[in-house]
Amino acid sequence: MTFSPSHRVDLKRMASKASLKQKFLKKWMEDLRTYGSSNPFTTVSERKRIIKLSADIAMASIQEGATKWSRALIENASQGMDTFKKSAMSDDRGARLPSAASVAKMIASKKISKSRRRRTRICKPPRPKRLQARSIAKRLVKKRTQVLKNLVPGGESMDDASLIKETLDYIMSLQVQVDVMRSLACMSEHLHRK
Amino acid sequence: MSSRRARQSSSSSGSSRISDDQIIELVSKLRQFLPEIRDNRRSNKASASKVLQETCNYIRNLHREVDDLSERLSQLLSTIDADSPEAAIIRSLI
Repeated sequence: MTFSPSHRVDLKRMASKASLKQKFLKKWMEDLRTYGSSNPFTTVSERKRIIKLSADIAMASIQEGATKWSRALIENASQGMDTFKKSAMSDDRGARLPSAASVAKMIASKKISKSRRRRTRICKPPRPKRLQARSIAKRLVKKRTQVLKNLVPGGESMDDASLIKETLDYIMSLQVQVDVMRSLACMSEHLHRK
Repeated sequence: MSSRRARQSSSSSGSSRISDDQIIELVSKLRQFLPEIRDNRRSNKASASKVLQETCNYIRNLHREVDDLSERLSQLLSTIDADSPEAAIIRSLI
């Protein structure tokens, strides 16, 4: 039985994804153990934050600096982690809540879309519908490209060609992250049910 | 030789337009993630904006899933205890 070329590519892709999943799980669990031993994260919301931050750092670390999004994500998530640790070590529990919000804000601030510049409308002579549709489509592409730049870590400073490559890699890494986290959650739920 | 606008925009660094070739590359690669994107014979720019929109939606969905899963896991993993059954299973997987 011969495999078609596309089938071979799929198998290769599946194999590389499987190895990524294993690398991700290993790094994530190692980091969680490290954070857990030095900091007692007792509230559920604290644990959620540390789980999410460490998962992002692990997902980005296994890239070994090869992609721009991973370098940007490590920078963002590490900042969040430092602020988080500082607040966790403080004695005043009441102070944790505002800093938790600022951590989330710090991570989210990189992703909030920049203020849109108002396009100054210049009166143009009426164009045939075909050309009008093309310029509308062009504007839509530009607008949506900007949205994508805000979603991909470090995207704001990418040119369009890199943006596409980085996006594809980022999406695949996100899928790996989601798959592993979901498997872990299902397994834990199953164990706890017994 | 006709000079395509697409070629010109891709040759200038930092250009703000995505070339048609890049769109075709993106669509073919995204098809593995987004099966609902079909071959659009109409304007390349129209399918480009659709692809970008689907991509952004997909990334947002993935972000939300990670957030939901972190929520679930925070309730399940009270400690990554060395003795917990989860730890044993994880160790065997790594």
